[in-house]
Amino acid sequence: MKKLIPYFTLGYPDNSRLCRFLDILPVEKINYIEFGFPSDDPRYDGPVIRKTHSVGNSNFSDSVYSKYFDYFYKNHIKMYSLSYFSDIKDRFDEFIAYLQKNRFSGIIIPDLIIDYFSESRGVIEDLNKRGFEYIPFFSPATPDSIIKNVASLTDSWIYYGLQPSTGIEIPYELDYTTERINTLLPGREITYGFGIKSDEDIKNLMKNGGSGVAIGTYLVKMIDSGDEKGFVDYINRMRGVLDA
Amino acid sequence: MITSVNRDIMPENWYNVVPDLPEPLAPPRDSKQDFSSINLLNKILPKEVLKQEFTFRRYEKIPDEVMEQYEQIGRPTPLIRARNLEKHLGYRGKIFYKYEGATATGSHKINTAIPQAYYAMKEGVNGVTTETGAGQWGSATALAASLYGLPAQIFMVRISFEQKPLRKTVMNLYNGNVVPSPSTLTEYGRKILKEHPDTPGTLGIGISEAVEYALDHDYRYMVASVMNVSLTHQSVIGQETKKQLEILGEHADVLIGCVGGGSNFGGFTFPFIPDGDETEIIATTADEVPKFSRGDYKYDLVDSAGVLPELRMYSLGADFVPPTIYAGGLRYHGASPSLSLLINRGRIKSDEVTESEVKDALRTFANTQGIIAAPESGHAIATAINYVKAHRNENKTIVVNVSGHGMLDLSIFGEKQ
Repeated sequence: MKKLIPYFTLGYPDNSRLCRFLDILPVEKINYIEFGFPSDDPRYDGPVIRKTHSVGNSNFSDSVYSKYFDYFYKNHIKMYSLSYFSDIKDRFDEFIAYLQKNRFSGIIIPDLIIDYFSESRGVIEDLNKRGFEYIPFFSPATPDSIIKNVASLTDSWIYYGLQPSTGIEIPYELDYTTERINTLLPGREITYGFGIKSDEDIKNLMKNGGSGVAIGTYLVKMIDSGDEKGFVDYINRMRGVLDA
Repeated sequence: MITSVNRDIMPENWYNVVPDLPEPLAPPRDSKQDFSSINLLNKILPKEVLKQEFTFRRYEKIPDEVMEQYEQIGRPTPLIRARNLEKHLGYRGKIFYKYEGATATGSHKINTAIPQAYYAMKEGVNGVTTETGAGQWGSATALAASLYGLPAQIFMVRISFEQKPLRKTVMNLYNGNVVPSPSTLTEYGRKILKEHPDTPGTLGIGISEAVEYALDHDYRYMVASVMNVSLTHQSVIGQETKKQLEILGEHADVLIGCVGGGSNFGGFTFPFIPDGDETEIIATTADEVPKFSRGDYKYDLVDSAGVLPELRMYSLGADFVPPTIYAGGLRYHGASPSLSLLINRGRIKSDEVTESEVKDALRTFANTQGIIAAPESGHAIATAINYVKAHRNENKTIVVNVSGHGMLDLSIFGEKQ
């Protein structure tokens, strides 16, 4: 089954509206869920997601989210944190313990191999020892050798960003992109995100061996407009596109 | 159809170093919270240029139309053994120089101007615009635009505009329109003029003006340097050099080039990066712009207005205003991210040379090889001469990129030679 992975920034746009959308999220249609922990410097996110971080920072409330973490876990939805290493490096042990306590499966750290390359191997090996999934985050700018080396440190799925940041529309060659990553990492589960724009893109990504998609910016826009029906319809439609 | 006997020396593809870097290249970053300067690139760059900026392809096919023009403007450029210089220095090894001054516009800049203008023309836009320091890039832009029937609006750093009137003549001959920057053509230029009426101008201001002009006039912005795509296009220099050395049965032990934003240097040296670490590579900057020794490796603004995305690079700060030095092409505060990464990793060494060293090197090179090199290129020659003096008894093959000629820069020598 192809993976559908919605993304939410915790605390955005406020806790009551976030909870409302988490309440109506059709869990039977999704596989994983990605929670962005608000960052002071979400440098590899585009303007839409960046805004959610600055707002989410002031609304973050662990007590509000814990019941949802429990709810998704009980519904067999794997939870992943999207966190910037710049935010968690000084409290890494505490943060990973918090995620594990809330039964997250793993973590995506978009700035780890870019801004903290020399530390990255140690961090990944540390997560492996804890039995916590490190999800490698790669982009078109990641050199071939790095993709191979980092991916070899983990058995988890791969997050491949199609764009330099979320919600950006730089032209990219879809077929060549998928061919490259499939060649470098044959047989690995590759999930695409960061700038997926159309159903057609999703179909082609799946046709070329992709194992799923992560959707963020588009959902934020629907949450912003309070479009609950559109949100549910969109998730259902995405499920259909992935399963087509 | 290209029929030149030299065609075999010209590469069929541009080389992009990104897939071969030892660590991931930090992506561009928006400099403002609520605005996507990365998306802005969508509006000001030709789509194909943008695609090539963010591509991970190791090789990008050079369109036939671009190959034709490369040939027309003098590619492949010569690789010449500097025997007279070797003799003058008493060097046991060999010195070669790749002479980009042999192109129609007299520098390497045309190598990326042609494809960028070509892709702009294919999009049917109103024209192209850019900034220029010493005028080499402006000349290349004006000619490339003219070759494809496009108008070119060029913002030339004011101090260079005043010091190098003949550059303006050259650009005008190529049908380019040139104004000193800061100018009254843009809101940003007017603002700077109001706040700092005596400013000599900077490349950063010029970039900001050109970007604003592109947005307001449906022009496309031409990327002189720093951004990866320009280094990719410039890879024709290094690829030709490799081929020419191969034909001569030679191997480069040392590569030396000068760095403004990094385009001639990256284009010259990056094709050698996949071959391993055996070739020593040295990047030379002006003593007055010590970006590698005193700059920070950090995200910083490409242009002073913060219109373009921030890049992670060695930088002296976007508001850095260098002295009114004799080599306008080396006044830029930063350097390309890929070059900066390789400097930071220690794969590429850096050097700084003084004005007197550069002038001595230019004189020596003119007296021995007959070539009056550009002041920018003089930095690379000075580093090469210093290298030879320090390794006199070694038997190395040194290759220097002489990125342009200095026939329009003679004023740096003053009245008395």
